[in-house]
Amino acid sequence: MRILKHTPTALVPLLAAIALTGCETPAPPAGQPDSCSGEIEPGPAPIRRLTRVEYNNTVYQLLGDTSWPANAFPPDEQALGFDNQATALVVSPLLAEHYLGAAEALAHAHGPKLLGQLPACVGDSISALKCSADALTFIREFGKLAYRRPLTDAEVAIYDGLFQDGTTLGQEPYTPQVGVEMIVEAMLQSPHFLYRVEVGVPDPKAGDVVPLSSYEIASRLSYLVWNTMPDPALFAAADADELRTPAQIEAQARRMLKAPRAREAVKNFHRQWLKLDDIIPRIAANGKDFDIYPDYRAKYLPLWQTEAEAFFDHAIFEEDASVEALFTASYSMMNKELADFYGVSGPTGDEFVRVELDPTRYAGFLTQAGLLALHASPDRSSPIHRGLFVRETLLCQSPPPPPDIVPEAPNVDESQTTREQFTEHSEDALCSGCHRLMDPLGFGFEHFDGIGRYRSNEWGLPIDASGELISTDVDGPYNGAVELAHALGSSEQVKNCVATQWFRFGYGRVETEADTCSMDVIREAFAAANYDVKELIIALTMTDAFRYRHVVRPTEGSSND
Amino acid sequence: MTSRKRPIHPLSRRTLVRGLGGAAIALPLLDAMRGRSARASGETPPKRLIVMYTPNGTIANNFWPGGAEADFTLSPILQPLAPHKQDLLIIRGVDMLSSLSGPGDAHQKGTGQCLTATELLEGDFSGDAGQSAGWAGGISVDQLVAQHISEGTAYASLELGVAVQGSTVSSRISYLGAGQPLPPENSPYAAYQRLFGDALGDPLVIERRAARRRSVLDAVSEQHRALSSQLGPDDREKLENHLLAVENIRARLEQAATTFGGECQPLDQSEIVDPSLVFNMPVVGRLQMDLLAMAMACDVTRVGSLMWTKSASNHVFSFLDPAIKEGHHSIAHKGDEDTIKVAQNSQINTWFAEQLAYLIARLKAIPEGEGTVFDNTVILWTNEQAKGNNHSRMEMPYVLAGSAGGYFKTGRYLVQNSQTGHNKLLISVLNAMGVDTDVFGNVEYGKGPLSGLT
Repeated sequence: MRILKHTPTALVPLLAAIALTGCETPAPPAGQPDSCSGEIEPGPAPIRRLTRVEYNNTVYQLLGDTSWPANAFPPDEQALGFDNQATALVVSPLLAEHYLGAAEALAHAHGPKLLGQLPACVGDSISALKCSADALTFIREFGKLAYRRPLTDAEVAIYDGLFQDGTTLGQEPYTPQVGVEMIVEAMLQSPHFLYRVEVGVPDPKAGDVVPLSSYEIASRLSYLVWNTMPDPALFAAADADELRTPAQIEAQARRMLKAPRAREAVKNFHRQWLKLDDIIPRIAANGKDFDIYPDYRAKYLPLWQTEAEAFFDHAIFEEDASVEALFTASYSMMNKELADFYGVSGPTGDEFVRVELDPTRYAGFLTQAGLLALHASPDRSSPIHRGLFVRETLLCQSPPPPPDIVPEAPNVDESQTTREQFTEHSEDALCSGCHRLMDPLGFGFEHFDGIGRYRSNEWGLPIDASGELISTDVDGPYNGAVELAHALGSSEQVKNCVATQWFRFGYGRVETEADTCSMDVIREAFAAANYDVKELIIALTMTDAFRYRHVVRPTEGSSND
Repeated sequence: MTSRKRPIHPLSRRTLVRGLGGAAIALPLLDAMRGRSARASGETPPKRLIVMYTPNGTIANNFWPGGAEADFTLSPILQPLAPHKQDLLIIRGVDMLSSLSGPGDAHQKGTGQCLTATELLEGDFSGDAGQSAGWAGGISVDQLVAQHISEGTAYASLELGVAVQGSTVSSRISYLGAGQPLPPENSPYAAYQRLFGDALGDPLVIERRAARRRSVLDAVSEQHRALSSQLGPDDREKLENHLLAVENIRARLEQAATTFGGECQPLDQSEIVDPSLVFNMPVVGRLQMDLLAMAMACDVTRVGSLMWTKSASNHVFSFLDPAIKEGHHSIAHKGDEDTIKVAQNSQINTWFAEQLAYLIARLKAIPEGEGTVFDNTVILWTNEQAKGNNHSRMEMPYVLAGSAGGYFKTGRYLVQNSQTGHNKLLISVLNAMGVDTDVFGNVEYGKGPLSGLT
């Protein structure tokens, strides 16, 4: 436990031990990284708008709605490769209109059911007085779910007024159902529903940093682990103010990770980090050259995406896979149709099941067809794009930009292998400076053609899949994708990259200088758990960045003035 | 015949309309209503601005006309515009100078700056090779025009797209201000319902819904204002922009619903296809242009933009020619000596010119006053770069179509001095639309309008 500039009363007993040391800057708490020795530093916490996925999940939890209304919204703005980055997400006039339309459709669809929660408002002889009392109860109960915290009296009054308006706006003289629908319409367009608003625990004597309230922590947990609103157990914990200590938060996070919804959220992460959701649209947009790949069919695209997602899901949740295992596993997940494409046996139906693969050819997700076909041209493999993918996505490094004048890639030539054509090209002194960071990583995949299928030769010519890792922590020569995957799987840099990507996805923002302690906490916990991805998610809930925020300092006047 | 047929995915139009809440179209009432565009004679018709964006540069040799100013011959790419030759101002020698600076890769800068003429914000949109950028750093020219001429129209502007994928700076051209992108609507059906759903519905149902919306939106706005006052500056700005959008919807409820009549007539959107599929681009693009024209005819807006795919889009234009097998961006990257790819890229750009010709023809078909809506319109055709294989943003392929009510002297091919920033072109457009200014975007790259356009 570390100090706040101002110490909240509840923490005083726990801090006594640190205070006794009498140091200006206390040592980090036992087991904490050195970078955590100073004051608590949560980093920035910009307001987060629900993504389309979160909106859909949230109205499912809130109303039991399965129409996925947000699918019709304009796409979420994407930054750092993710759709949930707070600073990029904005509400355009078009999106505001969609919010209105979706709120009306949802209120209309679920209004009759919700009216059942106001028994005095149903029947032949309704007492407006009793019905209004039921409406107040509904506003407080439903409002708490929509706002993910109890409503203030002022907020209740707004909805009470709206309900009364609504009872006069239907076709009958007194229409409580219209009132209920209007409450729902307004709540679903409220900024307290559409954004995750956080202020922290109010404390007039607080310094610059305050802990988040239990309700705020409940939302952080549920949107991080489940990509949706809190469940009844989280609400109950928040009601009891029992989401304030690391132990309380950890217990909830562990409970939540066991739920199926956690698996969906982890899928969502991999879909975005590795761009698995590009497999269908991007390969379909370019197509594949039927002369060179006569076996290619667009029907494989969804199978390729499903294979990758099912692999991560199975490895992480059924096998407790470490990062290394994700790179080195000698199995994948396939159904019959996909197994036929690979030329392996095992699956007999549409269901994706575990298939053991030849460990001399295949290793983890890197040798799966979807990613390899994505990072390829329509008519050949692309060592450059595959190498760039490894460098950027897996090692979190950015090669320098290409020059403004980009020489043309050579045309496919059946007297040369792809590698030979590109070796020639990267021997050019102008190109090789940067291409040495990419091509020698991409050459390792040369046993996989433009549709991601294993090949023993290219145009009858022998394949050279040797390469070299440079500017990494596992530098050295290797031969083939399996050796490359094992090297990457053992790399600290890759593991730190995974942690960084999860930080961005989990917190909806880029890491900053101020997050050094939080990032170290995450990395150390991840390492201590032998890089089990589930433990990384737990670690994300244990940081300063997760549990605290800077005090909000309202600006004077309107920025539109 | 073995040629691939364009697959169409038919839906019942009736299902669509009913599904979106539209009741029976109130045709019998039409005679009693007056179209918004039916103006009293003698009233000056409004001016309109439409921006058409196409990506990945052009092929200069096949784009620029031959001959001189008034006596020029159209190039192969611009040939489809022959029926409208006297309505064109083809402007050579303008460079997107601002886009040589600031964050972002070439495509990002070109896209975010084509209508804003100022550097992009810093941000986390990843570009080529580790470069990154945020949204555009200022208001776009169409939105500045909209602020000046949208008084009394239901929508300040209308952003439409054709198969625009993604949601980053590469996929947006219109901005309300720095960091405030406006997404294009890719579905002509959704856009039609957005603009005209009320006019298609039962007026009594619409009015009852409007009464509910007023109360609901007032409650929403109240919460927005209460929350905004408690936020820090960045969050607050975000919420205030959101609130402005809510208030715009609210304000629209106080205006009379659009009614059909005169030149403002319902659209036949009976050709229902999936707007996300590349091979449907011809159908979807035509429906979007029909809608743009209708929106102008009905005066629901006076500013529109049409974005044909995002920058660096790799859509395969095989619907033009089965021989085209590579994505547009890949084709555009091929060297000048790759005659096949150069021809394919020319083919794609020629098709874009054909689309512009269609839009012009649609606007010319709407009578207004003594002439047509087109007479009071200017269309700006822009790109994020001039040349695909080197990302050059010098000598941009700019075409203006329409005189904006006689402001521009059209039917000419003009060559500007070198090092002329595209700010000046955008200032010319602003001036044509009645916005009296001699600066736009980053003033460092140019001040005052282009010479010789009027």
